[in-house]
Amino acid sequence: MTTEATSTPARAPSWRPHAVAVPQGLLVPVAAVLGAFACGALLVVATGLPLGQAASAFVDGAFGSAYAISASLNRSVVYALVGLGFIFANRANLTNVGGEGQIAVGGIAATAVALAPGVGQLPFGLAFIVPMLAATLAGAFWGGIAGVLKARVGTNEVISTLLLSFIATWLVYWCVQSRQLLRQPMTSAATLPESPAIPEAAQLPLLTGDYASPVTIGLPIAVGLAILVAVVLGRSRLGFQLKAVGLNPVAAMRAGFSTQQTVVLAFLVAGGFGGLAGAVMLLGDQYSLKAGFSSGYGYDGLVVGLLARGSVSGVMAASLLFGFLRSAGITMEMSAGVPTALVVVIQGLIVVAVAGAAFWLDRKQPARG
Amino acid sequence: MLALRGVGKRFGAFAALTDVDLEIRGGEVHCLLGENGAGKSTLCNLLFGIHVPDAGEIRLDGAAYVPRGPRDALAAGVAMVHQHFSLIDDMSVVDNLLLGQARGMVNRKAYAARLGELADRYGLALAPFARVGDISIGERQRVEIVKCLMREPRVLILDEPTAVLLPDEIRSLLAVVRRVAAQGCAVILVTHKLAEIRTVADRVSVLRQGRIAATSDAPADDIGALVRAMIQRPMEGLDPAMMVTLGMAQDAAPRAPAPHRRATLPPRDMLQLDGITVRDADGAIRLDTLTVTVRPGEIVGIAGVEGNGQSELGAVLAGLAVPDEGRVVVDGADLTGRRPQAFTAAGVGIVPEDRHLVGAIVDMSLTENLFLDRARVPTRFGLLRRGEMRKTALAMMAQFDVRAAGPDVAFGSLSGGNQQKAVLGRELTTPGLKVLLAAQPTRGLDVGAVEAVYGLIRDACARGVAVLLISSELDEIIAVADRVLVLYRGRIVGERPADPAERERIGALMAGQST
Repeated sequence: MTTEATSTPARAPSWRPHAVAVPQGLLVPVAAVLGAFACGALLVVATGLPLGQAASAFVDGAFGSAYAISASLNRSVVYALVGLGFIFANRANLTNVGGEGQIAVGGIAATAVALAPGVGQLPFGLAFIVPMLAATLAGAFWGGIAGVLKARVGTNEVISTLLLSFIATWLVYWCVQSRQLLRQPMTSAATLPESPAIPEAAQLPLLTGDYASPVTIGLPIAVGLAILVAVVLGRSRLGFQLKAVGLNPVAAMRAGFSTQQTVVLAFLVAGGFGGLAGAVMLLGDQYSLKAGFSSGYGYDGLVVGLLARGSVSGVMAASLLFGFLRSAGITMEMSAGVPTALVVVIQGLIVVAVAGAAFWLDRKQPARG
Repeated sequence: MLALRGVGKRFGAFAALTDVDLEIRGGEVHCLLGENGAGKSTLCNLLFGIHVPDAGEIRLDGAAYVPRGPRDALAAGVAMVHQHFSLIDDMSVVDNLLLGQARGMVNRKAYAARLGELADRYGLALAPFARVGDISIGERQRVEIVKCLMREPRVLILDEPTAVLLPDEIRSLLAVVRRVAAQGCAVILVTHKLAEIRTVADRVSVLRQGRIAATSDAPADDIGALVRAMIQRPMEGLDPAMMVTLGMAQDAAPRAPAPHRRATLPPRDMLQLDGITVRDADGAIRLDTLTVTVRPGEIVGIAGVEGNGQSELGAVLAGLAVPDEGRVVVDGADLTGRRPQAFTAAGVGIVPEDRHLVGAIVDMSLTENLFLDRARVPTRFGLLRRGEMRKTALAMMAQFDVRAAGPDVAFGSLSGGNQQKAVLGRELTTPGLKVLLAAQPTRGLDVGAVEAVYGLIRDACARGVAVLLISSELDEIIAVADRVLVLYRGRIVGERPADPAERERIGALMAGQST
């Protein structure tokens, strides 16, 4: 009786009159971000650093030049790929924390294949396509391990993907430290061990062909995959299956969907996206495998996926935010001497402000399906 | 003693109660009658302080009574027994009673003595040191009632207390209710069973759509009028099975004795459960060499108190559990150990006892739930054909009278009856339907929905579908089934004809007494 009455989502409308005519959808996030910036500015001042210099470095780093914008976009691509993988698995109520490890194995695979004899000479762009596919497969394999563990013995995927990330990051160390593997033959005592450079043919082509604005073809690839993920999740039977298994595995099983297959598949896809992100980093930006090259992109990508809360457009928006923030932070650190810790704190404040604003707006307008 | 004037309560746009005037006198048993969603539970929750009314006033013994929570209500002498028990299975009866009452040192012996005294006064026998998990549902309810009575309440509210009880237990509960009222306490009893009103009520108020539709000071004489007030239809036009489930068996029209019907059915087994044994994870036997056969067009009822193997039987027939021993055969095809989709493909439809767990996905849309069958999702190149899904969904909504704002609303926003009709509709349209399992199909549904569900089940049966009806509502089984098997501790302990005259004997079998 009452349970029925209360379970109907007939929420009490908010009777509070609107004080300002500005739509809240715009006002709240802008105010939140401004607030976050104000807090960041206070912190900069409190540390005794010149505020103006820090602020201009921040803006320069993100939007200051065609180069800065391009670098930001390239970073956004990595975040977007990891985030897309995250929301794909998350549709089946699975949490892929292993982006970092999937990037790492993707990077290893991309490097190894790109450096393999003959690959650098392949025609029609296959010199970079083949390493990318190899990286995707490697990432899928890495994610698939967590998927099989979950499906077979019920291992919690948060723990397995996290631990697999640790393994993968140290695999990178091993690869670049061992001459039998990927360590370049000649290193001086001054440089850290790394792999030989990726041959030019295997590097991702630039959209403009100009190193002053080095946006790689990673960007159109990410956009295309985003559309694909949106269609699969929203309009395909596979998306229906992921959603059903995620929301109610027992009912999904009764409806004839195999939960085990769904779990493994979701992790193969999520891992594949991570692996591809690793290839984009290696072939489009770093050009040689170094220890710790993934440097937290996988974990930030996880945050992108969480902020997006299941929507592809959310992933795109959040990955842009993260890409530009990361570029801004790096410049602020290098040219204004702001300590790394403080940069991370400011970035964190902005993310919390954006997430908080989105959450607050959602609670005000619960009509969203 | 308790007086309500113009009380109203809204949940958002939904008016749960409107302008309710009600007077409850000390020493009377006042029954609240009404369909699901009529506002009975809301009214109780207002009196117990769980909700606060937005209009009107409540007076208790002449003084304004505005409880802000159950604590206020209890302090004012208003106690309530909820539909769902709030007991801790692993603790003893006494420890459960002590919860929330113990101050400082705990003297269990003194408490047990007090329990004995209450037991004498009201005829509520309880073993004070038994583990709650080990006692029967009826006894657990007694614990809840004692919990209230220990506070010496002036008003005792019982929300659908008989829904979970066996016939014997209902009788003793109603006797307790009378004794409590005889001590001067006002008892509010929520029910939808007219037979109980006849036995115990001093006065009756009928709620319909949040308003008081009728009040009677002589309910036993006014049954017809009360039914009309409740469902806005004369009693005479009702399905006889409905009459029985309303607890009006004696008023139902006589029908052809069931045993003769079986003889007219095709002599072949559509569903064969052959020596099914199921053990749980701990190795305990949940179903014990269960053997059932159902012919085309036959409705076999499985009666039993919940937790005696019904869930396991449902899981076996859905393909969600593989029996440790025995075979499941549908129309000659052995399905033992096959996956759920094989059962669906063989024409097995399942209306599960827990539609929120197995039968539907509440956070998906109504349309998506109507297509919750892998084989039936229409696709082209792997993409869903949304337009076709929507069209079929609309047709199904019309065919099975599923009332919703539209096919795209969340399944969870539908009322219980419409959810059940949707699930039933999907299962009944299973291609090549041969066997239908309906487990507790009318639980929580209002009269109109119950009637619709019975109608749909009978239609399927007329089409030659073999129906297995699992229910803990004895009246329902007797009214709808052709014959009744009694399930007790995982075993079939008896088979009786579905005849109202067999009610007592079936009830005894359900309670584990072999006759």
